[in-house]
Amino acid sequence: MAQSNTEPILNQKSIQLNLGTQGIGAEFSYGVLPNLALRAGANFIPFKANDIFKISGFNSTSHVSADFYNAHVLADFRPFETVAWLRIVGGVGYFFKANGKVRIIPSDDYKYGDLVLTDDQIGYVDLNVDWKGVAPYIGIALARTFPLGKFNVNLDLGTYYLSKPKATIIGTGLLEGNSSQTQQFQSNIKDYRWLPVLQINFNYKL
Amino acid sequence: MYRIKLSVLALVLLTLSACKKPTENIQIVIDTDVIKYTAMINVTDGTNGNAAPSNAVITISGAAAADIYELSGKKDIHLNAGMVTIGLHPNVVPKASEPIKITVEITASGYNKAAKEVVFTADQKQQVVDISLIRTGSTTPPVVTPPPPVYNTTSLTFTGRCPSRPDIQVRPSVYVYFRKAGTSAPFQYLDYMDKGYISTKLLALNETYEFQIVYGGETYKISQKIEQTSYNLTIDMPAACKF
Repeated sequence: MAQSNTEPILNQKSIQLNLGTQGIGAEFSYGVLPNLALRAGANFIPFKANDIFKISGFNSTSHVSADFYNAHVLADFRPFETVAWLRIVGGVGYFFKANGKVRIIPSDDYKYGDLVLTDDQIGYVDLNVDWKGVAPYIGIALARTFPLGKFNVNLDLGTYYLSKPKATIIGTGLLEGNSSQTQQFQSNIKDYRWLPVLQINFNYKL
Repeated sequence: MYRIKLSVLALVLLTLSACKKPTENIQIVIDTDVIKYTAMINVTDGTNGNAAPSNAVITISGAAAADIYELSGKKDIHLNAGMVTIGLHPNVVPKASEPIKITVEITASGYNKAAKEVVFTADQKQQVVDISLIRTGSTTPPVVTPPPPVYNTTSLTFTGRCPSRPDIQVRPSVYVYFRKAGTSAPFQYLDYMDKGYISTKLLALNETYEFQIVYGGETYKISQKIEQTSYNLTIDMPAACKF
């Protein structure tokens, strides 16, 4: 039976696959009240890229990686009975892995006086940030929670507020002393706690 | 509709609030300890203990001479204020059973030639080699500078500054010399500064000292009055900033 605009969502169930800024994931949704559904799921994003991070005046290559794995429980609240396509979403996620890492490697043939240094002698600098922990989520969702038929697509737009990041700098070789810059890095990164979520969900009604 | 717009605006503002650049005010810190086995050659005028005359020339000889570099990695080795730090190519490491020997020879107009063997051993990464020059025809033995008195421990952390590259900071590993400021006394050996850090018992409270390092054929000096147990000192080291 088709769901009307005002049809309550109580006891409806769906599973969804999603894709967005927090990676890919899956969720199970269940209507617990006429205007409230709960969903539980998990997302992960393993991300790697090269040379997208530059330090001004320092010729280098960079390897960037980010791993965000979370499990979450969200509540979808439909605030207006006549506007079934709009939901306010709130909840909490646990990021059991949430780290970003940038490895900076000098790219020039570095000479020290008349000596040409090897890669090991020069070394590299790792900038690590870890947001592991509990993160509340708030956002909105567009389009219906549960399909009118068997299948629909909807959208999440929101943000996680991540745990206070722990930042470190580790250097090797001639760059070993860069660990002294950890405090400054920690200060620079301390406000990087918002993980924006723009996510498309593909739902299948059970 | 107003609520939707308000929600979107709030999300955008919250996200943008984190836009401080992660690398802001972060400097690249570079160590200078490329050459691990070093010897500070300190050449003085034997008649008064002052630095060797400016025309003094240093020559390195021996089977390992080709592996000897100035501390800054230069093959060109010359004295500045009577001092130079030399060392082995980083790929050359003395074995316990096979120390590496070279001969350092000093010539200066008006002085006898002086030569000294320098031995690099596996268990000694730093050493100071004092060479006194005797004036030609002089029979007076070279003056011997008494060791400096001992006081409480003072810690000094040196940061090398690159005047032309404010984004780079140097952690010098060098031999440090010192003397009381305002005097013309010869500089005396303080200690080896390892990655910018030195701990010494040779500095008296409430005295002002002049510290000198020689690196890359250049002499760098800085003064500091000692009123506490630790200091962070910044010293310009353009010779260490040529990347």
